[in-house]
Amino acid sequence: MRVVVTGMGVVSPIGVGVERFWEAAVAGVSGIRSITAFNASGQRSRVAGEVPGFDPAAFLTPKYLDQTDRFTQLALLATDLALEDAGGLDAYAPQRLAVSVGSGMGGFSTFESSALRKFRDQPIPPFTVPRTMANSAAAWIAIRHKFKGVNLTCSTACSSGANAIGMALDLLRTGRADAVIAGGAEGCVLPLTMTGFEVLHALTTGFNTEPARASRPFAKGRDGFVMAEGAGILILEREDEAVRRGAKMYACLAGYGQACDAVHIVMPDMEGQVTAMRAAIEDAGMGPDAVEHINAHATSTPLGDVVETRAIKHLFGSRSREIAINATKSMVGHSIGASAAIGSIATVMALHSGTIHPTINLDEPDPECDLDYTPNSAQQRNPRNGLCNAFGFGGSNASIVFTTLE
Amino acid sequence: MDTADIETKVIQFISTKVENLDAAVIDRSSKFEDLGLDSMDTIQLLFDAEDTFGISFDSEEAKGFTSVGDIVSYIEKHQASSA
Repeated sequence: MRVVVTGMGVVSPIGVGVERFWEAAVAGVSGIRSITAFNASGQRSRVAGEVPGFDPAAFLTPKYLDQTDRFTQLALLATDLALEDAGGLDAYAPQRLAVSVGSGMGGFSTFESSALRKFRDQPIPPFTVPRTMANSAAAWIAIRHKFKGVNLTCSTACSSGANAIGMALDLLRTGRADAVIAGGAEGCVLPLTMTGFEVLHALTTGFNTEPARASRPFAKGRDGFVMAEGAGILILEREDEAVRRGAKMYACLAGYGQACDAVHIVMPDMEGQVTAMRAAIEDAGMGPDAVEHINAHATSTPLGDVVETRAIKHLFGSRSREIAINATKSMVGHSIGASAAIGSIATVMALHSGTIHPTINLDEPDPECDLDYTPNSAQQRNPRNGLCNAFGFGGSNASIVFTTLE
Repeated sequence: MDTADIETKVIQFISTKVENLDAAVIDRSSKFEDLGLDSMDTIQLLFDAEDTFGISFDSEEAKGFTSVGDIVSYIEKHQASSA
């Protein structure tokens, strides 16, 4: 049984909707700008990937606006777009429609603003808890569209979106659902959250006056990741059912691998990354020799990009340089739990269109990063498969394999 | 604000909180339930009303609010006592 991608919705700093997102990605457009969401003058990192013009009031009723956090609102828009792209899922019984969403921080926008009010002895919004809880996005997707099947949330930091998609694959393979709305959402361009990453020296601080150059995976002089917000949702179905309902199909979701470093709470480890990639490739019924494209985790931290490069070289050996690698985060920044869902959409589009979008800001690579990262210009490579990597705090590594329909 | 003003402003405010609700169909006797607001929506409504009207509802008393008139009366009384 094969699982196929039949619809996609993306809300990102470089575009809302797959068409706009992909056009910008292929053109190498940066979505990183000075922070507008709050007064960031006190932050060490003052750039971010915000979704420009995102207006929840344009598509949500007053009740939704009161009762949802920003990350849920981003997820709801991505879901609306994905369902529209898939032509709706009315062919299925509501009890057979599952939701699997990843988020690293959940409703931290609500948490931060309510905490501030509480510490000032002001009343807090009544929906503080249901807005903050990590599963609120998945729950609201279900409420809005009456999806009454399995409803899961995965919170494994930066790999949340990949694990949510992997969990969806498992749900479909085990027959627990006929279709799954899967992906990730994050809305944490926020002062406390960003300060938390700043004190770990995880965020870029040296490009505050040149935002578009701040996210520079694999490049010499990179100094940390750029915080971003966004959401990516994929509609996943069993191929036979998708064919029966006459759905358009983008690609197959063919494999999923997961491994924990079990070493350090934040520092990455090569072994866990290799294990996750290998497991995903084997799960897809392939061998490492067959892999043609990797959408890398590549956050633009000095250590992370080197460790991922080493992991790729370790697993793929002399073939490493033949693989078309790219870093979506060079344009959209790092949207934590949404990042692998957005990366997955980029991977699917690479298979669907044949084009590998570029890794921008890669004029001078780090000598320790010596693979083909598709620097600065898109390439037509027509890959038949692609691996999407996601490595999170907690040593949580996940890889997903997509293949063309052939 | 005089009494008529308060009532008009509360009705106007409530109409913005419910989708497709015309202020013209709301009056002092309108029950929250009949306006499509469940008990949780009502808690949110009262929270927002505090900010909008610059008042603070006694939480025990607010628990018993069931209609638009309850909010209007509370504000009237509060204004009278603070005047």
